[in-house]
Amino acid sequence: MPIFPTLFPGTLWQTNVTVIATIFLTGLIVFVVLRVGLRRMDMRRPRGLQNFIEWAAEFTTNMARETTPTEQTTNFVLPLAFVMLLFLFVANWLGLIATVTVHFNPNIHIWGLTPSDLANSKGDVELFDSPTSNMSMALGLAVMVWIISHARGLRHPKQWLKHFYSPSPLAVIEEITNPLTHGMRLYGNIFAGEALLSIMLRAPFAFHWLPWQLPLIVVWLLYSCFIASIQAYVFTILMCLYVGNKSFEGHANH
Amino acid sequence: MGSVFQFGTFIFSIISFLIVFLIIQRFAFKPLAKMLEQRRKHVESQIADAEKSREEAASLLAEQRKLLEEARKEAKNLLDAARVRADEQAREILQRAEEEASRILEQNRAAIVRERDEALAAVTNRVAELSVELTAKLLHNHVSPELHKEMVDEAEKRLGELVC
Repeated sequence: MPIFPTLFPGTLWQTNVTVIATIFLTGLIVFVVLRVGLRRMDMRRPRGLQNFIEWAAEFTTNMARETTPTEQTTNFVLPLAFVMLLFLFVANWLGLIATVTVHFNPNIHIWGLTPSDLANSKGDVELFDSPTSNMSMALGLAVMVWIISHARGLRHPKQWLKHFYSPSPLAVIEEITNPLTHGMRLYGNIFAGEALLSIMLRAPFAFHWLPWQLPLIVVWLLYSCFIASIQAYVFTILMCLYVGNKSFEGHANH
Repeated sequence: MGSVFQFGTFIFSIISFLIVFLIIQRFAFKPLAKMLEQRRKHVESQIADAEKSREEAASLLAEQRKLLEEARKEAKNLLDAARVRADEQAREILQRAEEEASRILEQNRAAIVRERDEALAAVTNRVAELSVELTAKLLHNHVSPELHKEMVDEAEKRLGELVC
């Protein structure tokens, strides 16, 4: 069980610093890529990276359009969906590209970790990982989407109240299961991929020289890359869907 | 510890993501969206313009075709009219020429007749005179001037009857 540098240890506000740092790093990567791609933004002759960014924007727009009832909702959710898609794509790939672990003598107090924590993880402290392979972070994103969707639903309070019992009162259960599965799905997929990778990487060679796990690692790495991309897409499309479901501005489908 | 729920990580993740989102949205997504919107409008207006100018071209073409047709018809009319008039004129000229020719012919004929008459008259006179002179010579001046005149008149008359 890896451990992380921790802020406010032992309190309610105990915070994983690696996750927060990698969130900002991911944001920085996305921001820099976008700014570089749009450096010489040209309406008439898009080229190079601008083409890719426009394709991503187009892709997100189509996705939002298909999952939301009105053009108004599409425009509302579009910036969030665009940023979320790129953010999660980069975030999910981070841990596949590299993880950084430092080893400490498990007798010291450092970065908010006690010697017993260090002893539990054999002195390994992870400094770099996918932020989405942290359950709290993935659930945080899901709950944020949940709050945004309800905030939008509350623009029409009567319909918002009605939708809890109107088709069936079971909809209330969805209010708990939706954000939970939304976040856990992302966390589970990314965490599983990275966990298996790290286990295989740490496994000893057969007869001390035969790297039997190498082909497995390659296969699993490719599969994890695929899963990382798919999960970014799935999380984003579900976000559009949840926000769209709570938008009650008439269901004039376009 | 990644698989244990931490409230602090949860809250700070949301806050961090929102900060990242707002920055990216403000400084990267907005210009992109603006540009895409601008392009959409541009393309739309270009298409509208193209449609309008195509319609215009079609109507202009129709108008031109109509004008051409009219011009052709008018030219044909003019040509027909000109041909008719030319025919008429030719006929008139021909007629006038024929009239002139016949008039000249008539004149000439009259002139010939007159000249012949004149010549005949002159010849008759001369013959009468000669005959009288001859007769006078034959008669050895036995003829008075009165008788001479009478005889000339007689001869002329007879000659005239003879000739005519």
